[in-house]
Amino acid sequence: MKVKIIAAILFSTLFTFSCTDLSEDLYDKVADDNFGNTPNEIDALVGGAYSSLRGFSDAISNAYPTCEYVFFLNEVASDEATIPTRGTDWYDGGRYQDVQRHQWKADNGMILSAWRYCYAGISKVNSIIYQVDKSGLTPEAKAPIYAELKAIRAYYYYQLLDMFGNVPIVTNFEDQSLPSNSTRRQVYDFVESELLAALPHLKSNIVYSKMTQNVAYSLLARLYINSEAFIGTPRWQDCIDMCQNVQGHTLTADYFANFATQNQTSNEIIFSIPYDSKAGTLGNYMSSMSAHYLHRFTISPTGDYPWSGNGMSAQPGVYSSFAENDKRRKGMLIGDQINLGTGSVIIMDSGEPLTYTEDIVNFTDAKQNEGVRLAKYEMKAGESWERDHDFVLIRYSEILMMQAECYVRLGSPTLATPFLQQITARAGTEMPATIDLDFINKESLREFTFEGTRRTTNIRFGTFFQPWWEKGSTPAYRGIYPIPATVLATNSNLHQNPQY
Amino acid sequence: MNSKHTNTHPESSRSTTFIMFLIFLLFLTAGMYAQQKKLVTGTIYDNTSIALPGVTILEVGTQKATTTDADGKFTFEATVGGTLQISFIGYTTQNVKVDANTKNIDVKLVESAFMLDAVELVSVGYGTMRKSDLTGAISTVKGDDLVKGVISSTEQALQGKVAGLTVLQSSGDPSSGSTLRLRGGTSLTASNSPLIVVDGIAGVDINVVQASDIKSVDVLKDASATAIYGSRGANGVIIITTKGGSKATTITYNGYTGVSEASNQLDMLSADQWRGYVRANNLTDAIDYGGNTDWQKELYRKAYTQSHTLSISTGGEQSGIRTSLSYLKNEGVVKTTQLERLSANVSGYQYALDKALKFDTGIFANIDKWHPLDYRIFERSFNLNPTIPVRNTNGSFTEVGGTLNENPVEILTDRDTQNERHRILGYFKTEAKLYKDLQAVVNLSLEHNATQGNTYKPSFAVLEGRTENGYAQKTYGEYTNAQVEAYLNYNKTFGRHNLSLLAGYSYLENIYKGFGAQRSGFETDLFGYNNLGAGYNYRLGDVYSYKGKSNLVSFFGRANYSFDSKYMLTGTLRRDGSSRFGANNKWGLFPSASAAWKITGEEFMKPTENWLTNLKLRVGYGVTGNQDGIGEYKSLSILGVGQDSYYDPSTGTWSLAYSPTQNPNPDLKWESTRQTNIGLDFSLFNRVTGSIEWYDKQTKDLLYTYQVPQPPYLVGTMLANVGDLSNKGLEVTLNADIIRGDKFTWDVNVTFAKNKQKITKLSNQSYKTETIQSGSLHGLSGMSNTFSQIIGEGYAVGTFWGREYQGLNEKGEFILSEDEKEIGNAQPDFTAGLGMNFAYKNFDLGFTGYGIFGQDVLNATAMMLNDPNRMPSYNIQDDFVGSPIKSAPTYSSYWIEDASFFRLQTATIGYTIPFKESKAKLRVFVLGQNLFVITGYNGVDPEINNTANASDTPGFSDRLSPGIDRFNNYPRPRTISLGLNFTLGN
Repeated sequence: MKVKIIAAILFSTLFTFSCTDLSEDLYDKVADDNFGNTPNEIDALVGGAYSSLRGFSDAISNAYPTCEYVFFLNEVASDEATIPTRGTDWYDGGRYQDVQRHQWKADNGMILSAWRYCYAGISKVNSIIYQVDKSGLTPEAKAPIYAELKAIRAYYYYQLLDMFGNVPIVTNFEDQSLPSNSTRRQVYDFVESELLAALPHLKSNIVYSKMTQNVAYSLLARLYINSEAFIGTPRWQDCIDMCQNVQGHTLTADYFANFATQNQTSNEIIFSIPYDSKAGTLGNYMSSMSAHYLHRFTISPTGDYPWSGNGMSAQPGVYSSFAENDKRRKGMLIGDQINLGTGSVIIMDSGEPLTYTEDIVNFTDAKQNEGVRLAKYEMKAGESWERDHDFVLIRYSEILMMQAECYVRLGSPTLATPFLQQITARAGTEMPATIDLDFINKESLREFTFEGTRRTTNIRFGTFFQPWWEKGSTPAYRGIYPIPATVLATNSNLHQNPQY
Repeated sequence: MNSKHTNTHPESSRSTTFIMFLIFLLFLTAGMYAQQKKLVTGTIYDNTSIALPGVTILEVGTQKATTTDADGKFTFEATVGGTLQISFIGYTTQNVKVDANTKNIDVKLVESAFMLDAVELVSVGYGTMRKSDLTGAISTVKGDDLVKGVISSTEQALQGKVAGLTVLQSSGDPSSGSTLRLRGGTSLTASNSPLIVVDGIAGVDINVVQASDIKSVDVLKDASATAIYGSRGANGVIIITTKGGSKATTITYNGYTGVSEASNQLDMLSADQWRGYVRANNLTDAIDYGGNTDWQKELYRKAYTQSHTLSISTGGEQSGIRTSLSYLKNEGVVKTTQLERLSANVSGYQYALDKALKFDTGIFANIDKWHPLDYRIFERSFNLNPTIPVRNTNGSFTEVGGTLNENPVEILTDRDTQNERHRILGYFKTEAKLYKDLQAVVNLSLEHNATQGNTYKPSFAVLEGRTENGYAQKTYGEYTNAQVEAYLNYNKTFGRHNLSLLAGYSYLENIYKGFGAQRSGFETDLFGYNNLGAGYNYRLGDVYSYKGKSNLVSFFGRANYSFDSKYMLTGTLRRDGSSRFGANNKWGLFPSASAAWKITGEEFMKPTENWLTNLKLRVGYGVTGNQDGIGEYKSLSILGVGQDSYYDPSTGTWSLAYSPTQNPNPDLKWESTRQTNIGLDFSLFNRVTGSIEWYDKQTKDLLYTYQVPQPPYLVGTMLANVGDLSNKGLEVTLNADIIRGDKFTWDVNVTFAKNKQKITKLSNQSYKTETIQSGSLHGLSGMSNTFSQIIGEGYAVGTFWGREYQGLNEKGEFILSEDEKEIGNAQPDFTAGLGMNFAYKNFDLGFTGYGIFGQDVLNATAMMLNDPNRMPSYNIQDDFVGSPIKSAPTYSSYWIEDASFFRLQTATIGYTIPFKESKAKLRVFVLGQNLFVITGYNGVDPEINNTANASDTPGFSDRLSPGIDRFNNYPRPRTISLGLNFTLGN
């Protein structure tokens, strides 16, 4: 009987001490309220705002620079690039074809991806601001951090202003209410005021890849040069003023130094997204995404080069718009591709030689070798899947070009000459007898081919709405993209951009 | 392990018999005749020579009766010339004549299959019940009835055995697992696999137990049965009871050796056909390499399998023990693939203090070793030109360059991959009789599961190896489940009333952790994966480790009441708290109630009792949950580190950023399923037993990573409880003894199940979702943005959505409907299982088969292969020669096929060699597996389960994208085994 009593006692003790604690212990993660108390921790948080620029990877968006599709969307809609469908390859539900023809719809995955890229960055910045708010730093110490974060956020809003126009402005991480659209004008004003407010607190010297005063000035210059397109008010002189504030940058002697594997040494780059193979950043595949699958044999005799995708090509006419002596033309590949192993032309699976052609007979059913390829970013043997090239967002060359354009627009083309001379001298090309907008437009294409800005330039010059290659006239409302269908479906406070 | 239960219940039946005996005695005194009497003694045994207590001994024509005592003995004053009727519930009644010489009567009773319900004990979670007293829907499979033959995952042993339980093996790869699904899936996010309970330990990996160690499997299907497992019961519960120590000593050896071949392959052009095609079509670009290779055949082999299991069980009144050891080496039909498993099990029981205490303990352990397969070989085997020889004349592998054209034999050969998994489960259970009818149980258990991965791709390997200049990787992951369960059982019979009560507490702690490392750039390939430090190239993400923890705390209770064994009521209640749930929903309550009525127990059923031997109606309702879809820490606002690095220009180095990773959701909780079940059990003519179940399962608060508006949310998706889903169905189980002769027997068992699923809601106030695209075809050329299925309100998971094929135009291009519409469904209309056993003298013959009917499969393999642009870059199928199709691969209803099939799973013929004078038994058998499949499906195999080759596809979840054959080409093996069973008893 004693034993039974002991058993009963033991059993009831078990019940009495029975654990009901359901709190979660973290081991390899940190709760957000436990972090952000030391300067080092603040640095680690702010670093996240920069890493967000690389984009993210999910079911619809790949972790290519700026989520791949932000780049694709703006390139394929412009007059310089195309993603031809080759057999079944790169058909992908017709999303590139629709953009090529300016017939995109609100459910195009690239449009959603572009939206998410910007708002993921904005939300992240908002959350970091929230962390900094809670931290014990002094207001004086917080001010430059806020300035840096808000200027990065303004960069994202600038992208939204350019692509979508009437987007919601969200700045408070804790506010979970469903936002409604702001007008394009309001977004414009927001970007301008945030950048201007941040300027005094930003670093005035060159700090590679960071949000400095030079970057903020450059962004304001971009905002003002497109002011007429964005809100109908031209601000050419304001653009020139901002450009003149940019200090300390010069053109590199070699144009391609800006796109080399180790391009972080370039003094021309004002703002970029750093990539590094050792840091595990999934990176800048721009060139190999474009090259033919077998292109690797032109890089390594044994074909040891990670993946190429036979994707984006130049629209016919782009290559031939370069003068023969234009050094920048080497940024594109054309003609026979030689197998370093055999010394003869690479033979494709079809048995035909790999010879890139400028012409693309039918971009919805193109041959594997059709189209001139992007080779601006260096491809070299020994590269790993993660690349080292930093993705260039703003170069000093653009500051020069913007000033030249504004002077032409203000009716003083002679004032544009010194800026353009720097650009053409480096390219090894001749200056034209007369500088006009048409020249500026064409020179922009040549100087900034495949740098993700061509769509905006086309819109500013109005050519975007005129027929070209594989599209007819484009109605004015397509100057901005529709709000993505998924976003509209989940937020009833949002309304679609007009006419979509 | 269940000896405790087998003891308690005969006890209660003994007391009722005792009351009956008293009544008999009353009658006895009333009508006594003066005849010659004789004192007879005896012992009654069951067919395994175990003494049976409580057996009724009745003198025919009188009211005189007695029952056997605890040792099965009885003493009886019998009339000379009379007949004693010896009867016991669950056994065939026997009559014994008493003559002048009769002194001792020893009788062995034979179990009666059709009275088993009354004694057969069914595990119901934290206890057992007599089958006749059940109120819920529970199917039982005996260990002997499990699927035989080469079984590399324990789930396969249940294939086709339980109505409503679908077992899908991922592929013919012996290392690939199987998926279990009971009564349709209830979740879009969580595992839809039933909860596995092994010897009372809930939530364990089913493969910790080998099929040969299983005594019985009870499948709890409806909510009234599974609600005792609360937030883990929504997908049903499978309770496995293992073999334990026995009162007799038995030594068993089971072994077989088998040979397997690929059961099917695609017909691609042979080298000669290819040459003919090239000539006929004047393909000038085609290159003839002069070889003659069947690339699929080059991947396959004749595979050998051997298995040996040795077990010993022994024991007595006070204790018993069983040990078993088994070894399996199962080669896959694709070269290099194999599973090698060594497993051991020891279990035993010990009584103490005059049976007031009982200890049960058991330990299961096994080690699996296998070579993972690179599934990219299959697509290449279809692509490669058949004139390319496998090797060059100098013995090196032929590589012709090109894309998706790497030599698949090289991929198979030039890799070194070896994975290893260790599983261990141990428990110690103490039962104490506290007071008469009150019993306390404490069960402590530990489950540990650790997996190691090793990979080396040498610097000469074509895919990755060369570009990485050698690549080595090691990974390690493990989890531990520690569990304490304590409960009280109270069981009381008074008069015709029986009451049993259960109350308990359970605490489960899960800890998982792991690490991994990889390096590339090796100067030599000599080290393989054994010296990672020798790789000079490394990246930030190359080293990682992780750890996490969760716990689940539960209180539970159950009450059973039955009156006169005719009316039964059960109620259960469970309260579960989980650390994974959001702060606002930490605790959930899961109630259930059910009732049963044994109609044949009623007076008015007397006229039909000759043929309708049992008829029982059951009705139940309950609420259960599924918390599997919530990973750890999903409700919290946390910062992750490791994925995000940023450049620090001041030092030129990179640092790690700390970033929020998810939208916090403090409302996160379990999915809850309300299920109504109506069941009918019957038996006819003592030959046919069966049951029919109808159920209606309504799941709400479906977990899914819903699209949320961004802004204001941090990321565009969020795990939340939003939608509703319904499953309704019907299940029929039939067992029949068609012929029951002395020399010849024939029995048949049939299962049939039908389930209809529908998503009823995907939106609520906060979350708006019209449809979710699923069935991504990403990874197939040009299909990056193509989704073949939708998840939408009014549809089932696996609904194919696309354009309808309407014919070919004169150019051979597809004419497709303008609109996209529902063009098929991957969920079957019904599933069926069939088993038959014949025995003639010492011969036995049996077969089992199963079928799945009415499901559609997208034959994406055919869609990609039927491409007019393939030649000469890639090879084509025989069928495609002369095909009118001239369109490039396009997703449409054209590629959706009815994949109904019936598979003959096993066929066995055995002969038992009788050893007259000893208890030894030797049976030899030949067993065929997967001998044929009847199907109209054109692919390699109509049974599709994508887990193996689609896991690396972004946005592709197998659970949400069933029925897509995308190079589903690891063929299931066809196997012939020769084996023997040897048993030595005493």
